[in-house]
Amino acid sequence: MSFVIRQIAKRADGGDIIRTRTLAAAEITVGRGTDCDIQLADLGVMLRHARLLQLSDGTVSIEATGGIPLEIDGKFVNRADLSVSDNPKIDIASHRLTLAKGDTPGAIAITAERVVAASDAADAASETGIFSLRGTMPSKRGLAWVFAGLVLIIGLALPLFMMGGSMLPADMVAAAGRPAGTSDAGKLQPALGGDAVKNAGYSADMVWSSGPLSTAHAGLSNNCGACHSQPFVSVTDSACISCHKADAVPAHASANRMDKGRLQTTGFQAGIHKGLNLPEGRCASCHKEHEGPRGALMVAASFCTDCHTGLSGRLTDTKIANVPNWEDHPQFKPTLVSVASLTAPRFERVSLTDKPMERSGLIYPHDIHQSATNGVGNMVRKQGLAAGANGALACNYCHTPDSDGVRFKPIEMEKNCGDCHDLAFARDGGVIRTLPHGKPEQVAGIIRDFYLGQALSPRAGVQRLAFERRAPGRMAELENADLRITSVGEARARGDAAIAQIFGAGGTAGGLCSDCHIVNNTGAPNAAERFTVAPVTLASHYLPKGQFPHNQHKTYDRKTGDAACIACHKGAMTSKVSTDVLLPGIGECRDCHGSTKVATNVPATCNTCHGYHYGETGQGGDFTNSPHRQPLAPAKVAARATPVRLGSAEPTKAARKASA
Amino acid sequence: MASRAAGKASGKAIVRAPRETAHEGFLNHKRSRWLKIALFVAALAIAVYVFTDPQPRPNGGSVAGYTLGTIGALMIIWLSLIGLRKRIITTKPYSLKGWTSAHVYLGLSLIVIGTLHTGFQLGWNVHSAAYVLMMFVIISGIYGIIVYDRLPEQLSANRNEATQPQMLEAIRALDRQLDTAAQPLGKDEADLVRLSLERTDIGGNLWQRLTGRQPRCGTARARAAIQALVNQQMRTGKPDQRLTQILFLLERKDAALAQARRHIRMKTQLEIWLFIHVPATFALLAALIAHILSVFLYW
Repeated sequence: MSFVIRQIAKRADGGDIIRTRTLAAAEITVGRGTDCDIQLADLGVMLRHARLLQLSDGTVSIEATGGIPLEIDGKFVNRADLSVSDNPKIDIASHRLTLAKGDTPGAIAITAERVVAASDAADAASETGIFSLRGTMPSKRGLAWVFAGLVLIIGLALPLFMMGGSMLPADMVAAAGRPAGTSDAGKLQPALGGDAVKNAGYSADMVWSSGPLSTAHAGLSNNCGACHSQPFVSVTDSACISCHKADAVPAHASANRMDKGRLQTTGFQAGIHKGLNLPEGRCASCHKEHEGPRGALMVAASFCTDCHTGLSGRLTDTKIANVPNWEDHPQFKPTLVSVASLTAPRFERVSLTDKPMERSGLIYPHDIHQSATNGVGNMVRKQGLAAGANGALACNYCHTPDSDGVRFKPIEMEKNCGDCHDLAFARDGGVIRTLPHGKPEQVAGIIRDFYLGQALSPRAGVQRLAFERRAPGRMAELENADLRITSVGEARARGDAAIAQIFGAGGTAGGLCSDCHIVNNTGAPNAAERFTVAPVTLASHYLPKGQFPHNQHKTYDRKTGDAACIACHKGAMTSKVSTDVLLPGIGECRDCHGSTKVATNVPATCNTCHGYHYGETGQGGDFTNSPHRQPLAPAKVAARATPVRLGSAEPTKAARKASA
Repeated sequence: MASRAAGKASGKAIVRAPRETAHEGFLNHKRSRWLKIALFVAALAIAVYVFTDPQPRPNGGSVAGYTLGTIGALMIIWLSLIGLRKRIITTKPYSLKGWTSAHVYLGLSLIVIGTLHTGFQLGWNVHSAAYVLMMFVIISGIYGIIVYDRLPEQLSANRNEATQPQMLEAIRALDRQLDTAAQPLGKDEADLVRLSLERTDIGGNLWQRLTGRQPRCGTARARAAIQALVNQQMRTGKPDQRLTQILFLLERKDAALAQARRHIRMKTQLEIWLFIHVPATFALLAALIAHILSVFLYW
């Protein structure tokens, strides 16, 4: 009965040191303690860990004595009988005992070796692991691949996959195709709210957007291909025009004139534009997108003056004066009536510095109508017409602002003149007979028929109204005498006399027409054809290439009401003839806008007054909110917009006064 | 360099000491030549930005914007080439120190050039991503400059002439002594020593490396427990000689660990920024490709 103990220790170079000794005993102890037969220098081993007892040949009883179970062939036990022939393995902490038959009969060989390396085993390679971040952090190269790959996938691969063909939302196309003039000048088009939200889903190529789109285009935010239709080709006008039709956004001028007139870049910059496929004069040259909500509408004034500074040098036949800046903006050249006509009036543009005259054909002295003390002032008081602060006729009695307050409604005789310049000429019972305005050939017939009718069938209660001066108290007598007709011949003579008197040709006293009109006597034998009225054309828009919102200038120079009007339209109080042009010069504008004269300047850019997309005539867009959108003529004939009331059932104020 | 200065010395009354030039770091290389160049470049960029008036507003798409962007992109590519340059052992055409000096100062001038190129417009897009990544790289680089300027001195002082293997060997030697000294101890005491032997991680995780603090370190816990045992024994009589021996060893191991961990902390601070700087550079190069390509794709 003996144990042969082989203890194996590792050398530093990896080799084994084997110490063998034989114990002639039936029972041996295993532990860390120095008194143990097999001493294991392992702090995981108890001082007295186990006891081995050789039972009979080939069997060993093992018992844990340190209170820690033994691991035998993978099982934890406190006690076991082991057959040596099975070569059982007993694991104690980092050590393993292997039992085997000894070389001599009755001997059991026990091999003890450390199977788990000691924790303090020196490892030169661990130095970098301990002192550098290698091992703690993922490798820089790996991180670089991951991050760069992520950026390339999200920033390039996915957008490339998504790039191209997107359909334009039909509602946006329709909205953009609205003709010009339906929106307020200078204001944004209404945002395409609901649909914009609907169209704002995610699209991978949105990461290529260099900034938010303008409000009107916000609905295209996920629809890059709508404008960027071809790769490496800058956004072309065709993309813009597919929604913004030519009648919605008329060209500034015809393409060939634009090409000639445009300031061409030269040298390096031109080379860059050519090389990078950035043709000039595109919509996008001025309208920069991806610049925020107002982006596409932010167009700098310098874009205008770029070309207009030396326009005449490039576009030699242009009629437009050069405009280098606001300070050197030429004097206004209002569009004035040169030949009045009912069908084909002629206009000409004359600078305010060239003593312009307007030939409207109308006789209208402003000064008489602005007096509070003359007959006009008397009428204003008696009829209760709108009066200004000084008691004279108010400016807006005739010049009525239009619906958006930018300009004025056309002057109409019945509305603006008729309260005083009454065309009533007879009373027939309760009915006031009124002559039709604007129809001179009808007037003569009506007068003649009136006298003939009275001659053939005189009726009581019919009375001719006349307004020439007479001695007091004799009015009715004279009026009655006028209608005491004894023959048809007399009736014709009286009628012809009345026609001549009412037309007032040659300044005949009491003439109705000649108060305001130039009446010509053609000398025709028939009295009904003898008199003609010179045509009248009233301008409705003197500066059609610009706009002046009158309603934003109701207060001017600390004045309001008529005083504010007169502050600019200075001649209005004193003008004696209608050929006077009462427009203020550009100097009046500069008093506030951008001039150095006053401390609180109001900035003015080109588009404060002008628009770009107004077509070749500069009239393509209308600033008014008119429901009857119409091309803006330079000036409008004061045609009869409303039918003339013939034999009106409703007497005018003058007629009521006369009948009283 | 030193020999040239010495050669000049023969005819001159005032001679700069050769040592002085030998200690010139990358920050003041050649009398801060690259600092001056970078300041000039930045000033030029600001002048271009201020004196051009792009309409409707400044952005990367104006003439000045494209100019700044082209310069910036070329600079980024050149700056990233330092990774290649440092692997090539040569003194020509420029010394690595000169190259590093230029890298640092031109990299800093990119803050100005890049920011002006954006025209102060940022959004959730690949263009701004490139800018943010660039700023990430630059800020991590600034951190790198600061630690490279300050820490080597402290690192040297802490090392106290010991090499890294020597530091490790000192700890291992103490471990062997502890192992030997603990052999006669009972289970509970032996387990405490095992705590120090087996549950001591010199480096630890990233946070422990950055702070140099490991309050749950096995050695610290073992030391505290054995200190408590010794204190208890001292109250009743003479403490166990073997325990006081182990306590002494643990105290020495703690000191050795503290030194190693200070070393690791500074080494980590010196290295960590490169784990942002380098990967972010490559992400930036990728973003730059996407940025430039997308601008021309959606021209």
